[in-house]
Amino acid sequence: MELPILTNLTLAHFLFTGAVLFTLGLIGFISRRNLIVMFLCTELMFQGVCVTLVAFSRYHLNFSGQTFVIFVLTIAAAEAALALGLVVLLFRRKHTLDALAWASMKG
Amino acid sequence: MPESLVQLILYAATVLGAAAMVLLLPAPGKPGGTSWRPLGALLGAATLGGFWLLMSPLWLDRPRELEPYGDALTVTGLDPGAMAFYYVFSAIGIVSAVRVITHHRPVYAALWFVLVILSSAGLFLVLAAEFMALALVMIYGGAILVTYMFVIMLASQPQASDAPEDTPDFERYAREPLWASVAGFLLLAVLLTFIFDGDAVTRNVEAMAITNAEVAEQLLPNRAQIAAVDGGGDVITVDTAVGNVERVGLDLFMQNPLAIELAGVILLLSLIGAVVIAKTDVPDPGSDENDDPAVRAAVDPKPAPEAQA
Repeated sequence: MELPILTNLTLAHFLFTGAVLFTLGLIGFISRRNLIVMFLCTELMFQGVCVTLVAFSRYHLNFSGQTFVIFVLTIAAAEAALALGLVVLLFRRKHTLDALAWASMKG
Repeated sequence: MPESLVQLILYAATVLGAAAMVLLLPAPGKPGGTSWRPLGALLGAATLGGFWLLMSPLWLDRPRELEPYGDALTVTGLDPGAMAFYYVFSAIGIVSAVRVITHHRPVYAALWFVLVILSSAGLFLVLAAEFMALALVMIYGGAILVTYMFVIMLASQPQASDAPEDTPDFERYAREPLWASVAGFLLLAVLLTFIFDGDAVTRNVEAMAITNAEVAEQLLPNRAQIAAVDGGGDVITVDTAVGNVERVGLDLFMQNPLAIELAGVILLLSLIGAVVIAKTDVPDPGSDENDDPAVRAAVDPKPAPEAQA
């Protein structure tokens, strides 16, 4: 007799992994002070969303979820190009990656 | 297991996870940092174990399996061995994600993020999404992470060693580890309450795509002939099975033609934008344009050392 724990892979498993990845990305984005690592954390949130989308795609046997991941990757690539360009610009201005160096911008 | 006990374990594990996160994120004047890391790792492992214990179908009244449907199972199915792969890839992914947000050097954070990408590509393979797994490794691991590496190299100051004592404060210390963890794990608790709710997700039968056999019959009836013509005069056996790549491609180009065009426009715009941003002339902090004390005071509330002298 096989244990059900070893044979049943449920949708909840993948949703859990996606939710944890998204949460860790959110915590990192709030608490880290390095600009590059903050953008890395947004990519972590993208990863969590991608896992969730593909899991739902498999669960409903509908390929639109996987198609949407392609567009998520497109936006992630565009965001990385623009955000990293801005980070280099900010670094050239103040010679530090500390997000608190730009605290004077808050209202 | 009664529903209230499930909720209790869920919230207890969430609180435990938040405590682990606070211990793993170093902050000056608060418990945390290198000496507290083993305890934080232990608490984090306990959290993960608690969640996975809750998810095991031994406790769930209605296990929501990824059921077989038509020939989808034979082509893209989940076999019982996939369970172990899920746990391995998921554990590697979550541990790497924790290292991404706790490591004090951005280069190592980016390398740990590559591991997150590889393990979620593994999860995609478990979910029978082969094309997405490959695209993820190529686009994220290949292209985006290399861009990050270049920027980290361009925008970092030299330092004596990799030791935490030699790194600047803004990389060693987190800003508000307690409140960040509380906010994050509050969100996680809400999400998991819905994930563990038995009837939250019912399978949408209407939304199901047609089976691979129907796709081969209706949409791609001439596949075998095309392949045979390509092969020349000789009779060759061609594999005409419809796989994940064909299905994603059909969905992409039949359902979303406008979205593809828009994605192309967005990529072009970001290319032009990145070039414009990179060519922007930035005055150096020590150069003449910025030496005007009035401008300095407007830009930076702290008085510049030259202005005082």
